[in-house]
Amino acid sequence: MPSATGDTGAEQPMRAWKFLGVGRVAPFGGHTWPAPGAAGPGAWVRFPGREVFACRPDDLPWWIGPELWEIELEGPIRALETQVAASAGRLVRQVHGWDAATLRAFGVACAERARNLAVEALGRDGRVEEAESLARARSMLELSRVARDCAGDARTRLSANLAGYVAESSMRASQGLAAAAANIAANAAVLAHGDPAVFSRARSWQARWIAEHAGLDLLPAAAV
Amino acid sequence: MSVARPQDIACRELVEILTEFLDGALDEHSRTQVEQHLVLCSGCAEYLRQFRATIGVTRRLSEQDLPEQMKESLLDAFRHWRHGS
Repeated sequence: MPSATGDTGAEQPMRAWKFLGVGRVAPFGGHTWPAPGAAGPGAWVRFPGREVFACRPDDLPWWIGPELWEIELEGPIRALETQVAASAGRLVRQVHGWDAATLRAFGVACAERARNLAVEALGRDGRVEEAESLARARSMLELSRVARDCAGDARTRLSANLAGYVAESSMRASQGLAAAAANIAANAAVLAHGDPAVFSRARSWQARWIAEHAGLDLLPAAAV
Repeated sequence: MSVARPQDIACRELVEILTEFLDGALDEHSRTQVEQHLVLCSGCAEYLRQFRATIGVTRRLSEQDLPEQMKESLLDAFRHWRHGS
């Protein structure tokens, strides 16, 4: 089966991934996807006048949800900016490496990336004590509180804004809202480097994190 | 693939186009914007869930299920709404 990467207009079946709500519920459509059985994949799902959407590995951070499934897509398949669209799809297996703990850990990892950027920025401003207190924060709630204080006190616009992003990202991470934490962290990276292209690189890092920690079985061509 | 930062829509904008979203009437770009917002915003995701639940409940109602008094007050509300008062 071809990989899910770079197959614009593929006519062949394609393997991809799909985030769903608990119980295989589609996050936007609200319907329940048929489960795979002992005999093989679940039933094909197709909608009149509408396509089925799924993720390539790099798309995963955009569509975070509680359950992650490997899905087989039926051609023709369109490659979109942050997903692929197909005429039909069926669930192959659940990725059990992605669970509530992994979801939460992902949000924490993203917030910690943002924290590192803020620590560097504060250090460059000579605000060593604040940088150290940010680095020392043990929990996401503590990090959010400390970062909020730094944001209020920061003397330069960059470090103030970065600390604000850390406060927001870690707060979302503490609430288990990993998708929001990740999005804010990617925006913090853009701010820290002053380059909008960094957003894509931050998302690629997040995609690698998900693939590694969820134990995705990536074909070589689909490696991120 | 290099992906630009999304132009996120505000919660208020989402509320305004949610019906079109549910009807499948949005173009691909707008639909994707709505869906990406729903991934990030737990408040709007809950709003969508409640909206769907309301649709599900009202779909099961028939005209006969409505008490006469409620029917009258609903009609009255619609008449006032149409007259803009």
